[in-house]
Amino acid sequence: MNILGMGVISACGRGVDYFEKALNEGWKKPSEIEVPHLKNRKSPVYQVDLKDVSEKNLFKKMRRSDKLSKMAVVAASEAFRNSGLENMDKRTVGIIVATAFGAHVTTFNLLDDILDHGEAEVSPTVFSNSVHNAVASYISSALGIRGPSLTVTQFYFSFHYALQLSRLWLDEERCDYVLVGVAEQYGEVLRYIYDTKLTMAGDGIIRPFNFKPTYQIPGEGAAFFLVSKRNSDNVLCKFENILIGGGAEGPGPVDLDIIDTDGILADESVYERSLSKDVPVAAYSPVFGSVMTGSAFNCAAGMLMLKNQIRYGNPVKDNPHGLNILNDTRNGPVELIRCIRYNCYGSNAVIYLRKKSLAND
Amino acid sequence: MITDNIIITGLGVISAAGNNLPETLDSFSRGKRNAGKVSLFDTSLSYPVFEVKTFPEKNYPEGQRTLRLALIAVDEALKDAQLEDELSEYRVGVCLGTTVASQLNDLDFYKSYRDHGSASMVPVDRYLKGNLAEFVSRKIKSKGPSLTVVNACSSGTDAIGVALSWLNNGLCDIAIAGGADELNRVPFCGFGSLGIVSPDLCAPFDRDRRGLNLGEGAGVMLIETKGSAEKRGAASDLYLSGYGSASDSYHLTAPRPDGAGLEAAIHKALAYSGIRPQEINFVNAHGTATPDNDVVEGRALHRIFGPGVKILSTKGYTGHTLGAAGGIEAVFTCAALRDGWIPASIGFANKDENIPVVPVMEKTTINGCCALSTSLAFGGNNAALIFGRRLKA
Amino acid sequence: MQKNNGQELAEIKKTLKNLLIKDLSLEDITPDDIRDDDALFGEGLGLDSLDAVEIVVILQRNFGLEVKDLENRKDVFYSIDTLAKYVLENKKNGS
Repeated sequence: MNILGMGVISACGRGVDYFEKALNEGWKKPSEIEVPHLKNRKSPVYQVDLKDVSEKNLFKKMRRSDKLSKMAVVAASEAFRNSGLENMDKRTVGIIVATAFGAHVTTFNLLDDILDHGEAEVSPTVFSNSVHNAVASYISSALGIRGPSLTVTQFYFSFHYALQLSRLWLDEERCDYVLVGVAEQYGEVLRYIYDTKLTMAGDGIIRPFNFKPTYQIPGEGAAFFLVSKRNSDNVLCKFENILIGGGAEGPGPVDLDIIDTDGILADESVYERSLSKDVPVAAYSPVFGSVMTGSAFNCAAGMLMLKNQIRYGNPVKDNPHGLNILNDTRNGPVELIRCIRYNCYGSNAVIYLRKKSLAND
Repeated sequence: MITDNIIITGLGVISAAGNNLPETLDSFSRGKRNAGKVSLFDTSLSYPVFEVKTFPEKNYPEGQRTLRLALIAVDEALKDAQLEDELSEYRVGVCLGTTVASQLNDLDFYKSYRDHGSASMVPVDRYLKGNLAEFVSRKIKSKGPSLTVVNACSSGTDAIGVALSWLNNGLCDIAIAGGADELNRVPFCGFGSLGIVSPDLCAPFDRDRRGLNLGEGAGVMLIETKGSAEKRGAASDLYLSGYGSASDSYHLTAPRPDGAGLEAAIHKALAYSGIRPQEINFVNAHGTATPDNDVVEGRALHRIFGPGVKILSTKGYTGHTLGAAGGIEAVFTCAALRDGWIPASIGFANKDENIPVVPVMEKTTINGCCALSTSLAFGGNNAALIFGRRLKA
Repeated sequence: MQKNNGQELAEIKKTLKNLLIKDLSLEDITPDDIRDDDALFGEGLGLDSLDAVEIVVILQRNFGLEVKDLENRKDVFYSIDTLAKYVLENKKNGS
C-alpha cells in the first residue's frame, strides 16, 4: 500500500513543511495556558494555533464546524495537495477517521447547554458537531469525497485498525484511494483527566526514554494519509505491514524503531523490552505532545525520513537506560522503519514503513 | 455467482420489543409497541421512547447500560452458535457500533468539574475501560481484532461490513458484529432540538409521519467462515453476502435529496454479492419516520427495485436505536429469511404521494433467499448489507 | 402606540440579526449586510435546515417563544421582517 500524500496539523504548524521543520529543529517549549483546576499556575500544552485553521475557501461549507473538524479537514486537504492528485474521481476515494476521544470539547459544550438552558433548548448545531462522525462528514463535504466513509474509535490502536482496514478496502476494490488519519483535540476537561491520572511534565519536557515515571503534555492535531495500491511519482513510502496483537513475524531487519512513548501510560517499561541495541530508536512526541492517536504523527515522521533519506535526531535526548537512541539529525540510508505502540494491557501494534521501490507495487 | 462462504451461526437481540429473539418475534407477530415515557432519567421532555424495561438476571457491568445491552445480545448470539462465553481457542474479531458508549457525556461528572474544578474519576474509568468492542473482546478473551465503529446511525451496519472484510481477508475466523446503544439524555435532547422527534408513536413511510422515536438495545450476530464452522461442527443456512457504503458529500444532518449516496451503497452491496436487484426478496429499510429520511430512502428503493418490492421498517417496534439499529435490523433480516416471514411495517396507515413505495401492512410470507438491510446516517453515511439463505437442495 | 411598536420592531430586528450572525456562525457578515426583506433560506442568505432548527432555539432562549411544527411556519421564517413581526406579536400575546 503506497502513501501518495500526507497532511499534518499540530502545534508545529500546518502542513508537511512545518512538521519537517519541527523535526529538524528539535524540542520546542510548549505553550502555557491557564486551567481552572490548577489555580495560579499555568499548564503546558501543544496546541494548534487557530490561525492555522482559518482558510476561508476550504471552510466555505463548514462555518458551523468545531476545531476538531477544522483540524481534520485541513490535514485531509493537505494530504490531497501533497499527493498532487486532487482531480481524481472522488467516488473512488474512501475516508477512515480514527479517534480516541472524538469531539469531547463539543460534547461538554452540549452539556453546558443542558445545564444552562435546559433540555428543550440545546443547540442542534452543537449536538450535530458532537457526534463522532461529524469530522468525516465535513471532510466528505469539503473535499467532495463520495466513497465509503467510516469513523472508528479505540483508545490505543484505532489508527492501526483504520490503516489495516484501508488496506482491506483497497484489496476488495471498495475504493481506489483511502484518506485515512486521526484527529484529536485538546480540552480543559481532558487536561483535568490527564493531570489527575498521570504526571504532567511541569518543565515542559516529555521524556520518551524515561519509561518510569513518565511525564505528559497534552497535544492536539490531525494527520491524514492518502493511501492506494496505485503508484505515482509522489509516493512518499509504503505501508509494508500492520501487525496488531503480536504473534506474527515482521518483514525483516529494520533500520530504525520509532516508539509512541509520551507519558499517556504511567509505566512505559514494556517498550524497552521490544527494543534491540543494534537498532537505533527515536520518539517524536516531544514535538507534538501526548496524543492517544499519536502513532499517526510518529508514522508521519517515519515517512519523511524514508522520503528524504534523513534520520531525524530525537527532540529530547535524556537516555537513563542507555538505549541506542538517535542523537543527531543526519543523512543516511533508511529502508525499513518499525513504529511501535503498546496499550495499557501490554499488547502491541506495529506498523512497518518501507522506502518506496522504483518498480510498480 | 452468490458468495456464501461467510455464514451466520448465531443471532442475539434485545430492545423494547423483547429481551431476546423469540420474544421479539412474538412482539412482531402480535404487533406490540412497547413505548412509553422516559423512565431511565428525569426529563422535562415528553416524547415517547422505546426502553428496555427489564434485564435478564445475570451479573453485567454496573453503570454501563450500553455494555449490558451489548453483552446480553452477545450471550444470546454465542449460545445460538453453540459457543461458550470464552473463545480463547479461536481467532475471534469483535466489531461493534455505538454512539453513546463512545462519548464521555456523564452530566454529573461534568457538572461537578464545572462547579468545583474537580470530579470523581469513576465515570472516567468506566468510560476508558468501556470501549464497546475492546470490552467485549477482553471479556471473551478473544485473540482477534477489535474495533468500535462510530458512524452514527449506520454504525451497526458498518460494523458488520468491517467484520465481513476481516473474515474475507483472513484476519479472523469468527466475528462478533453488530451494535448497541442505550437511551441517553444527550441524544434525546439533541434529536429533540433537531426537530425530528415525533410527539406520537412513529409512523415510518406514512403520509402523516412526524418524526422518529428514540429507542435502545443491541443486535449482534456471530459470523464465521464456512471452514471455521465446519471445523467445530456447526452449520447454518444463513450467510452474509455483501456490504456497500458511500457518503453523500452533502450536509451534516440532512440526507442528500437525490438519494445518490444510498443508491451507490446498495449497488456496491449488490455487486459485492454478485446478485441482481430482482433477487432481493425484501428490504428491511432504515425507515426512521422523519419526513426527509423516508422520502429519500423510499425513492431510492423504488429506483433500484421497482414499485413491487416488499419493504418494512421495524423502527415502529424498537424505536430508532441509533448505533444499535444496523445490528438489530441485520438480526431481524436474518430471522425473517430463516423463518420465512416479515412483520407488518407497524405505524404505517396512509400512503404518502411523495413516496413511490408502500411498506407491507400485515405479516407477510417470504420465500426468496436474499434480503437487504439499509442504514442512512447523520453526516451522510449510507450503508447496505445483503443476507442470504441457502435453499435446501 | 404605533410609534412604540415601530421602535420595538426595529430593536427586535437588530437583536435577531446579531443573534443569527453569532449563533449561526455567519462569518464575514455584519448586521448591515442582512436586509430586512432578504430571504433567509435558499438563494438569499443561504441558510439551511440545520439553521432553521437553530433559529427555533434562538427564539426559545431569547424571546421565550416556542415554535412547533416548523414545516408549516415557512412564512414566519422567510425573512428578518417576518421573523421580527412574529416575535413582536407573540411576545405580546404571550405576556
